This record gives sequence, C-alpha cells and structure tokens, in this order.
Amino acid sequence: MSWRGHLIVGLLSLAIAVALPFVFNINYLVTQVTLAFIYGTVVTQWNLVYGVAGIFSLAQMALFAVGAYAAAMLGFYFGWSLWIAMPVAALITVVVSVLIGLACLRLRGPYVALLTLAIAQVLYLVIVNDTDCYTTEGSGCLPFFGGVRGLTRFGELGFREWLGEDWRLGNYFVALALLALALIFSAVIMRGPLGLAFRALRDNPGLARSRGISRFKYQIWVFALSAFFTGLAGAFYAANYESIGPTVFSFSLLLFLIAMMTVGGIGTLWGPLLGAILLMGTDEVLRDYQEWRDIGLGLLLVFFVILLPQGLVGLINWRRERVD
Amino acid sequence: MTLDILTQIIASGLTLGAMYAVSTVGLSLVWGSLGMLNLAHGGLMAFGGYSAYYAMGALGLPLPAGLLAAILMGGLLGALTYHGAVRFMLRQKAFETNVVIATVGLAFVLENAVLKLFGAQAQRQPLQVEGAIQVGNVVVPLQNILILATALLLMLLVALLLKKSRIGRAVRATAMNREAAQLMGVRVGQIYALVLMLAGALAAVSGVMISSLTGLSPGMGADPMLKAFIICVVAGLGNVYGAVSAALALGLIEALAQFVLGVRFGFATLLLIVIVVLIWRPNGLFGRQQVTRL
Repeated sequence: MSWRGHLIVGLLSLAIAVALPFVFNINYLVTQVTLAFIYGTVVTQWNLVYGVAGIFSLAQMALFAVGAYAAAMLGFYFGWSLWIAMPVAALITVVVSVLIGLACLRLRGPYVALLTLAIAQVLYLVIVNDTDCYTTEGSGCLPFFGGVRGLTRFGELGFREWLGEDWRLGNYFVALALLALALIFSAVIMRGPLGLAFRALRDNPGLARSRGISRFKYQIWVFALSAFFTGLAGAFYAANYESIGPTVFSFSLLLFLIAMMTVGGIGTLWGPLLGAILLMGTDEVLRDYQEWRDIGLGLLLVFFVILLPQGLVGLINWRRERVD
Repeated sequence: MTLDILTQIIASGLTLGAMYAVSTVGLSLVWGSLGMLNLAHGGLMAFGGYSAYYAMGALGLPLPAGLLAAILMGGLLGALTYHGAVRFMLRQKAFETNVVIATVGLAFVLENAVLKLFGAQAQRQPLQVEGAIQVGNVVVPLQNILILATALLLMLLVALLLKKSRIGRAVRATAMNREAAQLMGVRVGQIYALVLMLAGALAAVSGVMISSLTGLSPGMGADPMLKAFIICVVAGLGNVYGAVSAALALGLIEALAQFVLGVRFGFATLLLIVIVVLIWRPNGLFGRQQVTRL
C-alpha cells in the first residue's frame, strides 16, 4: 500500500474510533473497546519482534506485565502520580527487554520461544510464590509484588474528578492515543532503515550479515524499540483497571494475542490491529458460549496457520496482486 | 540420619526423573525428526491420564487395560495431529514457527475438551498400587518403584526400536536428512505420523504416571510439559539419549532443591538452570553444533 493508502485507512479508522463512544455511549462497550486498544498496542509492537524481525519471542506478555507492575509499584510504594509512573515504567520495560534480547542473542528459532517462555514463567513464579509479608499496612499482609492477589490502590488517572460520570471516556481516549502513537511508531520503523535491516536479517541472515548488517546491534534495537509501547500499554492497563495481578501472565491471554497477530497477518502494519479488533469482537459474540470459546479459539488458530499463514491482510494483498 | 535423607532425596529424585524421561523422549523424538516443537504435549499427558481414569473408573477395567487405554488414546491423538494439521504445513516456509502456533491451538483444544468431558475438579487417578518397601530407615512406596520400572522398560523399548528395527532406521534417516531419506524410498509422511503417534503414546503414559502421584486435573500437563522442555533444552533439542540422562539428573536436582530451598522453589531452580544453560551453550549441553552454510 502507498503512503496515501495508509493515511486514508488510518484517518478513517481514527474518525470511527473517535465517533464510536458518542454514537453508542454504553459503559460496557467503551470499556471493552478500551481493552481492545490496549491489546492492539501490544500486538503492533510484538509484531515488530516476531513479524518484522522474525524473532519468535514469547516474552511480550511478560514485558506487558513488567510495565504494569512497575507503574503500580511506583504508585503504591512511592506515591507517584500515575502520569509520571507510566512513562518511567515504560523505560524500565525497555531495560528488561534489552536484557532478554541479550540473553537470546545466540539462540535461533524455537529455542528463543523456549527461553522467553522460561523467563516469563520465572517472573510469574517469583510473584506468586513469594508469600512473605513485605508490608502490613492497609489491608494486612502484602508481599513485595502483591502475591496472588496482586496490587490495588496505587492511585488513578484522575478522570473521575475531571469528567465525572464520563470518566471512562477519559481512559478510552488515552488508550486511543496510545494505540495511534504505537501504530505510527511501528509504521515509521517498518518503513525506515531499521525495518529494512530487521527484514533483511529475517529473510536471509547470511547475506544480510555479509553486507555488514550487525545482528547483535539490530536484535538489541528491536527488543528495545518494541518494549517501550508494550510497557506503556501495560502501565496503562494497570491504571485503567486500578489493579494488577498475576493473571496477565496467563497462557490463555498469550494465546489470545498470538491469535490476533496470526489471524490479522504477521509482519504487516495493519494485520495485528485488524486481528485484535476481530478477535475482541468475536469474543464478545461468543460470550454466551463461554465454554466453547477456548476450543473455538484453538481451532481458529490451527485453521489460520494451515490455510492462511499470512493472515487476512495477506489474503487481501494476494487478491490485489492477482487483480493488478 | 544424613544417609536416610540422602536415600529419600535419591528415591524421590529418581522417580521424578523417570517420569520426566518418559515425557521428554516423546518431545525430543518429535523435534529431532520433524523439527517441530510440540506445545500440545501437555494436553496429550492430560488426555492419557484421563483415559486411564475413564477406563478403570467408569468402565471398571483392570489395571493393565487402563494403561493400554492411555497408550491407545495417545497414539490416536498423535495420528490426528499429523493428519489433521502437520501434514498440510510441512511445505510452508516458516514451518518451524507456524507449527508451534498450530500446536498451541491444539493444546487449547485438548485442555478444554478434557474440561468439558470430565469437569474442572481434581480427581484421583485409580491406576495405583498399594504398599511400600523399606530401604534402610526410609519407606519407598511401591508406586514409585512401579513408575521407575515402567519408565526403564519403555526407554529400553524405544531405544531398541530406534537402534535395531527397520522402522527405527527409517526414523533416524529421516531425522538426519529428509530429502535423502525420501530419495532412498523412505515414506517420510508415514514416518512422521509414526513418530507423532509414538510421542503421543509416551506422553499419555507419562500423564498416567504423573497423575498417579499428583491427581488429575485438566491443566495437569502444563508444568510437566515445561519441565520436559527444560530437559530437552539442557540436553539439546532432538538428542534422545541425552534427554534421558538429563531427565534423571534434573529429577535429582529438583528433589535436592525442594529439600534445601523448600518445595515452592524446586521449579524456579529448574527454570533458572535452563536460562543459564541456554545463554552459556545455545544448543544444549549435548546438542550438536549447528554449522550453517551460507
């Protein structure tokens, strides 16, 4: 697609997203679309690592959790305003992600998936298994990371005071801004020299390296860049729900986000976002058949990987090429 | 006193290691010959455990039939994995990563199918033997000894199959070089289906073993699967014999860590070991050096 094409699609989607809560001002809808925006932000960044750079990292949800916990803990222990805690949490996430990237440097393919899964699991176990009381203020015994119950009462964004009943709209538009910035961020990276280097290392590592593209340098770059908005999305997730618990590490959530990328189209700009919206929508429709939801999700994933590994955007691109 | 503790640690470590070995060999075989990381392995374990439970509990069959039911179910699911998904993906360029995603989907289907069929509450595995023997001052349950013996027997059978039989030779040839094996007249598709069936059966048996100690629940496969991956990684993915020794070693380490650091840190220690090994030796301790020609 040309720059103009992307711009038109982007502005149209933005207009719909801005108008949506005013046309249907239903609390439930607004909260769910806010959540879709948060997940959309994560998958557009995960797509940089997995789709564009071709590194099969499963650490993205762990990074999301790092951002969320960092913001919550800065607010809880130091009483920071969430507006300051959120960007700081995003920077902490970048540091953690660079460390993970360094650990993965010598690995390839599925080994990366295994290492990142192990790291995510260690973080989860550290949080859940720590039962020693760090503080006993307020609601009694609380471990340093909040333990199984998680952390609450670490402040809020202040929209209740400002907008009154419509405070959910405040969160909605923050999430929309987050998603828009994340999308522009990844578009600039994908179209720029960095994206070219990532793709070269993905498609033909040998040739790329012989042309002087350093795998070390660009792998660290992609882990650093993709972490910022992931961490910020995590921090905002914590702020949005005013609580955070170890459920963000759940395998089911990880699967849900992988499915978003696969269904939409891995490695494309709009694919992950399209997948996020479609799957959140499908999830709503299937809410009455909750017990079938996970089986359906699993089968959908198998179906897409077998028949449409390029996702829906891949299908559209293929049709367009045929027509041209 | 110290000796008793040591005997205790060795006894539980070997039992853990034997269970891990059975589940790991399946994973390692599938990786070695198909280049496929099977994240549905945990789901297969749960299905195996519940098959034995159903055969012995609801149908009232005797103990060997319970084990046989698990083996048959595991093999059937392995065949289904191949004919339902893997065979369509072998030609894809990004097979290695796409197949992981597909098996993640399968894992979800399996786990939730168990949930729908048998409910969420934990059950007791009826496949048990009562009694215990005395080693010094330590009481070792017969169940542990049965697990150890079954595991050794299965490992022996798998080794014989791979080393001595015609099919085993075909499996090894396919693992070494798919195209060359195919040109020599090996039906690669059949070999793949066979390997997945074998791995499924082994996963099902290990599911029965694990559930006889910890009880049955739909998500019971998740932790053992992660441990099997750890063992595979430490040994080097695809190295079957390395996997068995690594399984026993890690079983002992876990038992030791549980004793020294407390039960809740046993698993965390294993995960830290895998992280260190992967950073230090990216192809595992016994893994072959990957030489990439450009």
